[in-house]
Amino acid sequence: MEIIKSLLKSQNRKGVILISFLTLVLLLPIIFLLGRIFEFNNENFFYLWDNLLIDYSKNTFYLVIITAIFSLLFAVFPAWLISTSSFYGRKFYDIVLYLPLAIPSYIMAFTYSDILSYTGPMQTFLRNNYPQISNFFNKDYLQIEVLGIIMALSLFPYIYTVSRVSFSLLGSNYIDVAKNLGLSSFQTFYKIILPLSRPAIFSGLFLVLMEVLNEYGAVKYFGINTFTTGIFRAWFSMNDVNTATQLSIILLIVVFAVFFIERFLNSKYRYNYKINNNIQNLVKSGFYKTITSNIICGIPFVFGFLFPLIFILNNAISTYQKIDISNLFLLSKNTVLVALLTAISVIIFAFFVEFIRKISKGKAYGYINQLISLGYALPGAVIGMGLILLFTKINSLFIGISLIGSLFVLIYAYVIRFMAVGKSPISSSFDRHPETYDQTAKNLGAGTFKLFQKLHLPINKFALMVAFILTFIDVMKELPITLILRPFNFDTLATQTYEYAIEEMIPRSSVYSLLIIVIGSILLILLKKTISKSWPN
Amino acid sequence: MVIFSMKKIIFGTILISFFLSCVNQSKKSNEVNLYSQRHYNVDKIQYKNFEELTGIKVNVIKANADELIERMKNEGKNSPADLFITVDVGKLFQASEMGLLQKITIPSLNERVSEDLMDKNGFWVPITYRSRIIVYSNKRVDVSELSTYEDLANEKWRGRILVRSSSNAYNQALMSSMVANLGIEATTKWSESIVKNFARDPKGSDRDQVKAIAAGQGDIAIVNSYYIGLLLSSEKEEELNAGNAISVFFPNQSKGQRGSHINVSGVGLAKNSPNKENAIKLINYLISEEAQKNYVSNSYEYSVNPSIKPDKIVQKWGEFKRDTLDLNLLGKYRQEAIRIFDKTGWK
Repeated sequence: MEIIKSLLKSQNRKGVILISFLTLVLLLPIIFLLGRIFEFNNENFFYLWDNLLIDYSKNTFYLVIITAIFSLLFAVFPAWLISTSSFYGRKFYDIVLYLPLAIPSYIMAFTYSDILSYTGPMQTFLRNNYPQISNFFNKDYLQIEVLGIIMALSLFPYIYTVSRVSFSLLGSNYIDVAKNLGLSSFQTFYKIILPLSRPAIFSGLFLVLMEVLNEYGAVKYFGINTFTTGIFRAWFSMNDVNTATQLSIILLIVVFAVFFIERFLNSKYRYNYKINNNIQNLVKSGFYKTITSNIICGIPFVFGFLFPLIFILNNAISTYQKIDISNLFLLSKNTVLVALLTAISVIIFAFFVEFIRKISKGKAYGYINQLISLGYALPGAVIGMGLILLFTKINSLFIGISLIGSLFVLIYAYVIRFMAVGKSPISSSFDRHPETYDQTAKNLGAGTFKLFQKLHLPINKFALMVAFILTFIDVMKELPITLILRPFNFDTLATQTYEYAIEEMIPRSSVYSLLIIVIGSILLILLKKTISKSWPN
Repeated sequence: MVIFSMKKIIFGTILISFFLSCVNQSKKSNEVNLYSQRHYNVDKIQYKNFEELTGIKVNVIKANADELIERMKNEGKNSPADLFITVDVGKLFQASEMGLLQKITIPSLNERVSEDLMDKNGFWVPITYRSRIIVYSNKRVDVSELSTYEDLANEKWRGRILVRSSSNAYNQALMSSMVANLGIEATTKWSESIVKNFARDPKGSDRDQVKAIAAGQGDIAIVNSYYIGLLLSSEKEEELNAGNAISVFFPNQSKGQRGSHINVSGVGLAKNSPNKENAIKLINYLISEEAQKNYVSNSYEYSVNPSIKPDKIVQKWGEFKRDTLDLNLLGKYRQEAIRIFDKTGWK
């Protein structure tokens, strides 16, 4: 009710109608899923609840904690070092620490389990050269802790990216004051910088958390039952789609509760520091600090990117005779096509919503903003199901046009899923620009369209680039939605990788995953360039 | 201004191509649409051969069987699906129970397909089958120690058995066959004991179980026959070594015993199949000698045609007697099987 009242009070009626309509379009499949809540199968629901869910929830919690701790370690310290000090190798790490994002986490998990396995390179090498210690490393590596670290290696860039920007934006003022007060550089980091960057770090951590909650392939392979396993247990093993839906909605509610609690707790920290334009001077590092900095930045790069890349590359080379070039080309074309269409749709949509929010003000837009991001908290297969339900309904109302299995529905689903990814850089870019810009433009007689075209489009163009690249990469890696909603004869690099991987033919899958990684890496280097342009230092 | 209009043109082109790409529902008559859980290279070869032979275009969507069932169910009358193909007979049974399939009549089917592999109700046709077998360490297990699935509950296997998780459909089918053969109570007891005998928590793929034997983490494993064929044809020397460290054993072979558990990969005709004639043609092709030989040599599965010998690698394991249980029961007892897994702590 509050939302509606505040919407009605808003100044921009047209904008309100438009934004509400767009939000509704985005939420429609989720609303259809909610409809299933009432088709309650008591028996199955309570069966799962009594027998499995407590155990599954414990595992989920433990996995989330491990992944969170390691991804913070891999992200925050390197980001701090690179933002504040100069050391040999800094420029290199500043580029490459984004790259692990190019490797889908299920590929990372499959790759590492192969690297570490008894027949993998590590143990084989030890057996052949140091048989006396090889027994010590002959272990079962498919453990929850190992999975947590592997997930952290592939997801930490979400936190790294935002921390890096946040640390740079803080500038030198706070650090200078802290120094004058006699704080050591660790104390400065711990007492001043970290609390000020908390909202940014949390926004990255939140993405990591949702990715972990949604992960199915890797957790299944490792034999770890998480809450998402429970959802698919209900669907795939018990043939009970309704219970599966109800469980995913519970998951959705939990995720959003965490999100709002964090918002509430952190509200006093939010946006109340002065953004500093004095670019801070990088502190020169001595010999020992250079070494430690290289170790701290090197670990996430080497384990999160270099090792898996070398392994995959090696596999791809060893199977090169079996590569079907024309198929490879076709799959790349398909992958780029859907990624491109989705990324464009997401940035147009997100930019539009943010623009209307900016010119209309009003608290309600804050809520709407969060609603739009709902899709990111749902497992892809569940979103797929929501779209099937929605388009079945549409089909029964307007007979004859079955859109399920068309590219349109596939991209619609991607947009719902990845809106949160694309919207967050655009949103923070809008927040950074002061109201006075709008006022001045209006005083100069600019209408809404002029405001859009001459002011907000140019000043947010870097954020649009960032949003485009992040969404593009995520779509390229996406698997469950593609599997369930794709048109006939439509394969992507991700689906082909998966098909070989689950048939236990990792080497054959390598060339396809390699291509995902290469395209992703090129875009991420571009991303880094974009970020550097928009925030010098 | 020129730049702006360029942008407009580019943007417009993208939009138009987007909408054009959405309208890809044009109906071609000479085609057949597959919703398939199979995604092996051999399938691509089969469909290509069929296209060349008949001129009928084969369209495929590959996904998880349950997702495909959900999609078919919701699409209802408008579903474009002609054939539903799975690698687990349980899902074919489920689809037929849900009314998503129609009966198939294929003349002289029993001349080409072993009778015990066929659907008694006529809703699906088997195209290949696999056995869930035991593999054992050549070093640490003597073949005389092995006998039946039931014997895996014996205390002598404490801490020695490897198997993947109960989310896996092949394990679910095995447990369903135990329920069908022994009843719920005896199967529950069996599962309880076998869980106690696990060398580690169930995890990984079938291939990983074999690697774990090679690594000494366990002595015997329950795996699917065709994964062993794949492992033994691996490009990697170390994997071949792991494959050679184990041998294959078919359980329940003695006189009076029921034979080894098998599961079929099969095809069902969709209730609202829009290209029924072409669909039947494709089924006929898939059980033809030519296609059956392709399956056997490319994916190490067993042919449903008794006259076609398995691949050389598979032949080395010898012939075996298969459990001739009505395969629909593997679907019918699925729910009971799942509950036994959960109740006895088979993760």
